[in-house]
Amino acid sequence: MLIDLKKCIGCDYCVYACQAINDVPDDMRWNVHFVDKTETGNVFHITRPCMHCQDAPCVSVCPVVATYVREDGIVIMDYDRCIGCRYCQVACPYGARTFNWESRDGASGYQAQWGAAEVERRARGVVEKCTFCVHRIDRGLANGLVPGVDRAATPACVNICPVEARVFGDLKNPDSKISRLIATQPTFRLREDLGAEPNVYYIPPEGMSL
Amino acid sequence: MSTASQPIETTRGAGASLPIFPIWLGILGIMLVIGLVSAAFVLIEGLEVTNLSNEVPWGLWITIDLAAIALGAGAFSLSAIAYILRVKSYERIARVAVFVGLTGYTSAMLALVMDIGRPDRFWHPTVYWNIHSVLWEITMCVIFYSMVLGIEFGPLVLESNLVKSRFKAGPRIAHQLHRLTPVVAIVGLGLSLLHQSSLGATYGVLVARPIWFKPSLPVMFIVSAVAAGAMFTLAMTVFYETLRRERVITLQLRNSVAAFGGLTMLAYLYLKLWDYLATTYYSHLPARIDDLNLLARTTPYSSSFWLVEVLLGALVPAVILLSPRLRRFDAWVIVAGVAGRGRDHRQPLERDALWVDRAAGLVAGRGGGLPHQQLSTRAGRVGRGDWRAGLCLDDVHAGVALPATLPG
Repeated sequence: MLIDLKKCIGCDYCVYACQAINDVPDDMRWNVHFVDKTETGNVFHITRPCMHCQDAPCVSVCPVVATYVREDGIVIMDYDRCIGCRYCQVACPYGARTFNWESRDGASGYQAQWGAAEVERRARGVVEKCTFCVHRIDRGLANGLVPGVDRAATPACVNICPVEARVFGDLKNPDSKISRLIATQPTFRLREDLGAEPNVYYIPPEGMSL
Repeated sequence: MSTASQPIETTRGAGASLPIFPIWLGILGIMLVIGLVSAAFVLIEGLEVTNLSNEVPWGLWITIDLAAIALGAGAFSLSAIAYILRVKSYERIARVAVFVGLTGYTSAMLALVMDIGRPDRFWHPTVYWNIHSVLWEITMCVIFYSMVLGIEFGPLVLESNLVKSRFKAGPRIAHQLHRLTPVVAIVGLGLSLLHQSSLGATYGVLVARPIWFKPSLPVMFIVSAVAAGAMFTLAMTVFYETLRRERVITLQLRNSVAAFGGLTMLAYLYLKLWDYLATTYYSHLPARIDDLNLLARTTPYSSSFWLVEVLLGALVPAVILLSPRLRRFDAWVIVAGVAGRGRDHRQPLERDALWVDRAAGLVAGRGGGLPHQQLSTRAGRVGRGDWRAGLCLDDVHAGVALPATLPG
């Protein structure tokens, strides 16, 4: 995924769409938004989904392989295997994981406005995280769609963005839109120094030099 | 002064008439009831009742689990001295240590079952292996080591009058188990060295948590566990002697174990000193310094480090146990054992979690994964709920700053 901080206006649509489609309550958001300032004083908005790291710290610490990196690079959870030790939560450098401290009644509350939930609610006692809407990707690929091009095979946060700040696609394919953008634009990733090889790239906002 | 199995000369006139043992059993009973009620509460209501949060996913709880495992350290180190180095006189205290270890490990396992979100899946690590996970290695070690403790403890049960009278083959099986003791002690030593160290590595490998991320943690954990394990076993022995009003170990053995515990604690302090100097005084990893500064600014972190951990938790017990004058007194030996135990190396982690909790999510269970004056004011403003954003702010700062410093 590529997030263009030059374009992001901080509308929070991606946050809400994610909460609707994945049925995520407010205190467990998978995708968060915050405001920051560049060194030159420019205010900018940034959103943070799971980074889907290729050398993910959360994956290597899990004692039961309840979370893993798929061949296509997406990091997902097996909610039926997770024992709820929360080591992955402690290990994630980005705070991208949340734990189900209690069982939840009712939906997250965003469905009426932002779309029906497409995945099952997670049980009490397991960790959960952003999946890049993997259910859409898998169903889409099975039907010959291209994730990032066909909306039915694209994450909810990407589809909803009114300014097209989020670009999704296959980083392994050099001809995909996302690969071409990364090849031509200056981009950075969060905490590259940690060596986790995150798969979410950012185009810096105005006033930030790389 | 006294030899094995001799009555203690009572010097406490009034206390002597009190039925101390039944009173102690009563206290234990009350604590057991409180524990059972709390356990039921957690299992029914879920971890929500612990006040842990997504900002502090690991808190005091995990510290208690780990501390209970350190109890077992006495079992492996004292057993190794008794059965591998064949220091006969240590066999008496090794038996106590095995019992203390067994209670420590069983309570740790029970506490861990409470501490995971899905207690019904506690067996998953035995089936779904992730050999890259320190936590998996610990889980397997703890399971196997509990078996070792069972084999070591079995003969004591089988030879007891209660079992002997009902189960004729008991003593024979006990004898066979006894013959295994040296082998079992070696296996136990290996398993203990592994997991007592990797408990430290659990924190030490977390690259994203700069206060914890260092190769010294596994070493400090094993040394502090050996020290605290011996000290605590000795304290429990002396406590038991006080309850029963009879000596079970000789003064010579008592002095020897006390010196062993005290000296190991001094070795630990030496490591701790260099750990502190190397990571805090002589080097300046920005993320680590920022975290420590934030902790120092918002919590009593510095004073608790020097006063509670170094002075009260390590130096005082070491002095008591190494001083022939002080270690003569039962009370001092018990104080030293409990203080040293309370300290061992888990405490800094506990403090991280605890202070961090008090700092209202500023540094968050990130154990100090955090930083920044700017961040803390901001986090303070948006409050705990949105704190997660705080972490990311830091990531952005680092993420933005780093490419700037890289050539090309």
